[in-house]
Amino acid sequence: MGLGWYITRRVGWAVIVTFIIVTVTWALITAAPNPAVRQAATQAALDGGNPSAAAERVRELRGLNAPLHQRYIDYMVNVYTLDWGWSTMRSQPVTEAMLSALYYTVQYSVPWTLFTILLAPAVGLYSAANQYSWKDHLATGFAFFGYAIPNFFFGIMLLLLFGVYLEWIPITYNSDVPVFSLENARQLIVPVFVLVTGSIGGTMRVARNESAEFISADFVKTANAKGVSKLRVYARHILRPTMVPLSTTIVGQLLALFIGASLLVEIVFGIPGLGRLTFRAIIAQDTNLVLGSTLFFTFIATIGNLIQDLVYTVLDPRISFEDR
Amino acid sequence: MATDDQARFDQTDWEEIDESVDHGLSANTKVVLAGLVPLVLLYAYDYTLVGQYEPTFGFVGWGYSVTQLDWLFALSLLLFGAYGALPLYQAPRMTKYYWGEFKRNRPAVVSLAFLAGIFTMGLLGPLVISPPETDILIPYQPPLGFTIGMESVVECAGPVTEAGGQRVCHGSLAHPFGTTGSGKDIFRSVVYGMQITMKIAFITTLIVVTIGSAVGTVAAYGGGMVDEILMRYVDIQQSFPTFIAYLLILYIFGGGIALFILLFGLFSWEGTARYVRSNALAKVEEEYVKATQLTGASTYHIVRRHLVPNTASSIITDVTLLIPAFILFEAQLAFLGLGDSTIPSWGQVLAGGRDALPYAPWVTLIPGLFIFFTILAFNFLGDALLDALNPQAEAESE
Repeated sequence: MGLGWYITRRVGWAVIVTFIIVTVTWALITAAPNPAVRQAATQAALDGGNPSAAAERVRELRGLNAPLHQRYIDYMVNVYTLDWGWSTMRSQPVTEAMLSALYYTVQYSVPWTLFTILLAPAVGLYSAANQYSWKDHLATGFAFFGYAIPNFFFGIMLLLLFGVYLEWIPITYNSDVPVFSLENARQLIVPVFVLVTGSIGGTMRVARNESAEFISADFVKTANAKGVSKLRVYARHILRPTMVPLSTTIVGQLLALFIGASLLVEIVFGIPGLGRLTFRAIIAQDTNLVLGSTLFFTFIATIGNLIQDLVYTVLDPRISFEDR
Repeated sequence: MATDDQARFDQTDWEEIDESVDHGLSANTKVVLAGLVPLVLLYAYDYTLVGQYEPTFGFVGWGYSVTQLDWLFALSLLLFGAYGALPLYQAPRMTKYYWGEFKRNRPAVVSLAFLAGIFTMGLLGPLVISPPETDILIPYQPPLGFTIGMESVVECAGPVTEAGGQRVCHGSLAHPFGTTGSGKDIFRSVVYGMQITMKIAFITTLIVVTIGSAVGTVAAYGGGMVDEILMRYVDIQQSFPTFIAYLLILYIFGGGIALFILLFGLFSWEGTARYVRSNALAKVEEEYVKATQLTGASTYHIVRRHLVPNTASSIITDVTLLIPAFILFEAQLAFLGLGDSTIPSWGQVLAGGRDALPYAPWVTLIPGLFIFFTILAFNFLGDALLDALNPQAEAESE
C-alpha cells in the first residue's frame, strides 16, 4: 500500500466523519422542541388565539410534519448542497451571512496564523540553543504565560490599558476601513497579539523540546565539525527535523484556538466575524444560523485533522501508513 | 538503593505474602468499599426521604442541600484517595524518589502548594464562610489598599477620606477583595469558585480516566474489529469540537454546570484512550508482561495490574493539560453569559465586572488572576510530573 492509497483512504474517512457529525446534529435538532414552533404558540396565546393550531401551522409550514426519513434526507441534501436555510436574525441566507462574517474573521486569522508559523519555531529554536540560560527561562516563561492566560481576559486587560487609559488603539471596531490600511492594522494589532501569545506558547514548547534533541545529534556534530556556519546548522540541520512533529502541533493548536478562543476575542474586540455571528445567533434563537456555524466549525476541525495527518505522513517518510 | 530496606528479598516471608494475596481484596479496594457504603446509604437517604429542596443534613443542623454534583465530587475524591494518594503512602520508597525528582522543579513545587491551597480552601471554605450575598448598598467596594470615588458607591464599608475636594472610599477588612456591582463579596465568591473549579477538575478527571483507560485497553486487547470500531469512534469524537458541541446542546436543551462537567468529561477522553492503547500495545511485547502471562495471570489482571499502572504517567500528564482547558471553557462560557448563572464560579464573577472595568477593574482582575494562576499551576505541575514519572517520555509526550 502506498502513500496514494493512504491519502485516498484518509480523505474518504474524513468524508464519512462529516457525514456522521451532520447526522448527529440532525438528531439533536429533531429531538429538541423547535423554538419557532414554541414562539408561534406563545404569540398565539398572547394574541388570544389557539396556541396548538398556531403551532400546527408553523410545523406544517416548516415541513416538520413530514416522516422522519424524509426530513433526514432533505436535511442531508440541503447541508451538502450548501442550502443552509434562511437566517431570521440577518434576513438573508445563512451562507451569505456567514460569508460576510468570514471576511472579517480572515482579516485577523491570516496574520495570526502567519506570525505563529514564523515565530513559534524561531523562538523554540532560540530557546533550545540557549538551553537553561536566562534567555531560555525568559522564553519558557513567556510561553507558559501565553498558554495560561485566558485569551479573552488578556484581551480585556490590553483593551483597558491601551484603549481606555493610553488611548493608543480604538476601543470600538470600525468595519468600514479598507483592509490594507493603517487604521485597520491599528485596530487588529491587539487581537492578533493576544491570539499569537495564545498559540505560540504550546507550539514553542514543542519546538524547544524537539530541537533540543537534535542539537546533540550526530549529524549536527558532523556539520559543526565540517565548519558549517552556526546559522546554517540551525536552519538546515535542526529546524528541518523539528518541523515534522511541530507542523502537526501547529495545526492542532491553531484549530483549537480558532474554534474556542477566537470566538471570545471577536466578542471582546467587537469584530463582526464568525464567532460573534454564532454568539448572536444563539442569543437571537436563530436555529439555522446556529446550525450553520456549528457545521462550519466542525468541517474546519475535520479538515484540520485531515491536514494534520497528511502533513505528518508526507513530511516524515519513516511513518508506515499500514497500521493506521 | 533498596539494600538497607527491611523488605530484602532473602528475608521476605513468602508464605506470609501468599496468604495475604489469597484474601483477594487489596487495601485500595477496601478503602473504596469503606467509603462507598456510607456514600451510597447517604445518597439513598437523600434521594428517597429528603425533599428535593430540603437540606440533606438537616438532622445535624447543617442547612445545605447536597446536589448530584456534590455526590459525584465525593465519589471522585474517594477514588482519588484510594488510587492516587494511598499508593503513594503504601510505597514510601517510590514516593521519596518521585518527590526528589519533582522537587528539582521549583515552580512546580510552588504550583503544587498553590493548588493544594485552592483545594483545601475550596473544600473547607464553604463550610465556614457563608455564601456571597447581594447587598445593593455596597456596590463596587474597593479591595484592601485601593480606593474609589464616592460617586460610584452608595455607602462605603471602609473609611472615607477627602482628597482634593473629592471624597474617596477606601477598602476595608470587611471586604478584603472588594465587592461586585451587586454588592457581593468577591473574597467569598472566589472561595466558592474554588470549590467549583475543584469539582470541574476532579469529576472530569474521573470520567476521562475511567472511560479513556477502559476504551484504550479494550481496543488494544480486543484487536481486530473491536479495535477498529473503537478507534474510529475516537476519531469522530476528536473531529467534533467539544466547545461547539456544547454550544449546540446548550442552545437546544439549555444547560448548567452539571451538564457542562458531564459533557466535557464524556467527550474529552480520546487523548487518554489513544495513549493507553498505544502504550498497551507496546507493553504487551515487554518481558514482564510475557512472564506474567506465563504464570497464568488473566487478561484482566495483566491489564489492571500492569498495563494501566504503566500508562499512568501519560494519563496524568494528559489530564493535567485537560483540566486547565476545562476551567478555561467554563470561564469562557460564563463570560459569554451562557454559563450557569446560579453558581459563583470565577468566570461568572469575571464576566459580571466587565461593564465596570474602567472604574472598578478588580471585579474582573481578581477572578481573572485566579484563573490565570490556576491554569499556570496545572501546566507547571504537568511539566514536572512528566519529568518525574517518566523521564524517557520527554519528547514523545507533546
